[in-house]
Amino acid sequence: MSASVGNFSLWLSLCFATFQFLISRKKNSHSALQFNKIAVNGLLLCILVSFFSLMYSHIVSDFSVVNVFQNSHTTKPLLYKISGVWGNHEGSMLLWILVLTIFNYFIYKLYNQKNFTFISKSLETQAIITIGFLLFTIFTSNPFERMIPAYPNGLGFNPILQDPALAIHPPLLYIGYVGFSAAFSFSIAAMSINTEEKISWYSYMKPFVLTAWTFLSVGIAFGSIWAYYELGWGGWWFWDPVENASFMPWLLGTALVHSLIAVEKRKSLQSWVLLLAILAFLLSVIGTFLVRSGILTSVHTFVLDPARGIYILVFIALLGGYSLILFGIKSKNFLNKRYFSFFSREGSILVNNVLMITVCASVFLGTIYPLLVEVFSNNKISVGEPYFNSTTIPIMIPAILVMGIGPILSWNKADATKIFGKSFPSILLTSVISIIFFWVYQPHNMLGLVGIILAFWIMSNILLTLVPQLILKNKKFIQDNIPKYSNGMIIAHLGIALLILGITGSSIWQKEKIIRMKVNDKTEIHNYNIVFKEINKIAGPNYLALQGNFLIYNKKKKIIAELKPENRFYPVANNSTTEASIHTNLLRDLYIVLGEGDINKGWVVRIYYNPLVIWIWIGAFMIFLGGLFSIKSNLKFIKRLTL
Amino acid sequence: MIKTLSLSVLIIVITILFSKTNIHSVEPEEFLQNPKQELKARNISKNVRCLVCQNQSIDESAAPLAKDLRILIRKKVKEGHTENEIYKFLTDRYGDFILLKPPLKRTTFMLWFLPFVFLAIGIFILSWHHKKSKKKLPHT
Amino acid sequence: MKKQLLIFPSIVFFFILLVFFYLLIIDRDPTELPSVLIEKKVPRFEAESLLNDKKFISTEEFGNKTTIVNFFATWCKPCREEHRYIKRLSNTKGIKIIGINYKDNPQRTIKWLKELGNPYSNIAIDSNGQIGIDWGVYGLPETFIVNAEGIIKYRHVGPITKKVYNNFYSKVIANRE
Repeated sequence: MSASVGNFSLWLSLCFATFQFLISRKKNSHSALQFNKIAVNGLLLCILVSFFSLMYSHIVSDFSVVNVFQNSHTTKPLLYKISGVWGNHEGSMLLWILVLTIFNYFIYKLYNQKNFTFISKSLETQAIITIGFLLFTIFTSNPFERMIPAYPNGLGFNPILQDPALAIHPPLLYIGYVGFSAAFSFSIAAMSINTEEKISWYSYMKPFVLTAWTFLSVGIAFGSIWAYYELGWGGWWFWDPVENASFMPWLLGTALVHSLIAVEKRKSLQSWVLLLAILAFLLSVIGTFLVRSGILTSVHTFVLDPARGIYILVFIALLGGYSLILFGIKSKNFLNKRYFSFFSREGSILVNNVLMITVCASVFLGTIYPLLVEVFSNNKISVGEPYFNSTTIPIMIPAILVMGIGPILSWNKADATKIFGKSFPSILLTSVISIIFFWVYQPHNMLGLVGIILAFWIMSNILLTLVPQLILKNKKFIQDNIPKYSNGMIIAHLGIALLILGITGSSIWQKEKIIRMKVNDKTEIHNYNIVFKEINKIAGPNYLALQGNFLIYNKKKKIIAELKPENRFYPVANNSTTEASIHTNLLRDLYIVLGEGDINKGWVVRIYYNPLVIWIWIGAFMIFLGGLFSIKSNLKFIKRLTL
Repeated sequence: MIKTLSLSVLIIVITILFSKTNIHSVEPEEFLQNPKQELKARNISKNVRCLVCQNQSIDESAAPLAKDLRILIRKKVKEGHTENEIYKFLTDRYGDFILLKPPLKRTTFMLWFLPFVFLAIGIFILSWHHKKSKKKLPHT
Repeated sequence: MKKQLLIFPSIVFFFILLVFFYLLIIDRDPTELPSVLIEKKVPRFEAESLLNDKKFISTEEFGNKTTIVNFFATWCKPCREEHRYIKRLSNTKGIKIIGINYKDNPQRTIKWLKELGNPYSNIAIDSNGQIGIDWGVYGLPETFIVNAEGIIKYRHVGPITKKVYNNFYSKVIANRE
């Protein structure tokens, strides 16, 4: 019953979206506003009904709905029945559309007397995107398909995917991808309207871009967190095509966020913003294409179906073709005649843009290159981690260096020698801290050195910029040449510093030990003694498991942890997983995985000492927090704008 | 007694079931005695793709083919073959796909060359901008 | 100047879309690897024979007649399903089929063949997977066509099913001439 409601609602939303498209093209402001109110609200309501009726079908385990049958099971815990709604292709498309319509609603709310044409054009573009996704979902990926007769139970669900981090990962990512759709719409609208209208289109774009980037960042972080805790060898990034598909919009989003600041403050880099907004969204949709078309295989790919792929490809061609041609024609209207110095803050943002795009291009090349080789030769090659690491890391290093001094440079005018003077204190501080670090922590390594220096470089710069700001806060004036810094920027940049610290520590100084242990055997890793105390069988809600019990002793012979890695078997899914057991503190993770074995010959035990891993997650969380702060202060600004 | 018995049964059952799963990658028994050779073998393995897995090296993978290849690589390292000889042995049989780091040849030339081109374009844009700004801005 | 700058990336954009489009419309399995042994001589190897005491020597077995080489095992379900098509192929005039029993239990294989029928003129035992590695095998079953000069001409990955039988058969015939 609810599935029929859901399906009907989906068709109805298509009508509302089409209605919105037609209305937004009307010139008469008064009636268009009224009708668009109906269209936007109707669309949102219908999609909400659709989405929640699918969720309802999952919760009550209505196996007459194909989507529920294929992806759910009565023994699944409730949380995962709910997250299972978007853990499959059809349901995730519905989530995409839901987020599209929510952002659509917020675009609508921005209407006022002055911006009618601009907002209408944005809503028109947003409507086209929504119609495109709705047609795709209804005709090729309908989650409300029924099957008669209904089986009594479903096909269960992959136990690896039953995890809280993974449950929240898609919604966060989609806020990212869809947020860029709003930026795309604004970009098209800005280029389509009469330039005499003098709309500060970039101000409208900013809250959406900030939201998109912030949530994309934390969405990617949760994916990595899941991989680290679940997959059993301490890795958290694999340059898998679908991971790359989320990383590329993030890179462009980073360039976009910073360019928007330059546009706001100095009206420069406008055509960069327009282009980046288009490209970020196009890459989001291309990412969707790569995952769902069957063109590549990856751990992340959904059901392989070339027909779906062709549809999305046509959609990309139309959207991309139109937007890029429009950009080609109209971008010259947005050139700022005031050229800024290369050594100014805008200059550093420009450098960042160039570097981010270079990394993005290399990642894109590496991801699709195997496909090109396949078409043009009989050969098949694979492009893996070594390629991506060697092409991205060397570019990221100068980007981080620029990130350090960028915020302390002044707008528009600057002098190369003055920069050195400004940054000298932080150079000094960085060197001092780095030397202390390597004096305390012995193992030396070139790449490790670089990573640590970069992390401390950012932290030193932040510290040295905060100090005068704090001092000045007490005096009741702010001097003209000491810039104010947003809390969001400080927190987010600090987050990046911690992220680099964590990445460097865990990649460079990781220690691994693989041995076979019988019960009561001892081993050691990096000053810790580990005793294999016992092995037990346990039962979980939908699994049976073999659990190893390991005692960890520190140098002083005290027990600091008891780690219990498990090997689980899920009878319904006929699938097994390993659950690593991890002891975390600020300095390192101790990570134990139980392998195969038996009572007689013992078990294979893999032990990892991963230094500084927690700082990756802390850094990512701080980036998220910084983004939230920026969104908050930006919303205050927007309120004033739209009154 | 019953507890040990049922535990053993459970272990056997789970072990049989686990023989199809990804919980063991390189195993201690595969290690070479000579640590230098072992390190060499592991570094080579880390660059060899597991052909039946999703984006894993044979060092990380538990697939039977991965294990066979790991053992084969160690045998060849012990026999004194160089890294390149071992890679050639593998690509002669499985093609370039088996390497995670694509080798530099005619078909992969663009792959390794284009990132430099991207960087060059980027630097060009920056220097073009720098020249223009020098012209337009008054000297301080 | 700007316009010309933008034309180049647009061309690249549409070129990439065309490549994607092409890959979608052809019939392709993204997980399948092409064999690098095509047009190369058969690997040289020696092994135990399953059904008799003589050694299996590759130089004696290949190079005289068009040969189909089928890698199989009793623990491989699709191998069991494709077996009747292998048997059908064995009726073709002027060719022979060699089986390579991959990482299997010989006694079980003998029983399996008794139950399902034996289309193979000879069977080599590959107990540790080495022969498989030499042939670039990465899964079971895989079937190769070797011409009368001992050159590998074709590899089929996966079971020979009803769907692919005719295509495979025509390739066998083509290489027989």
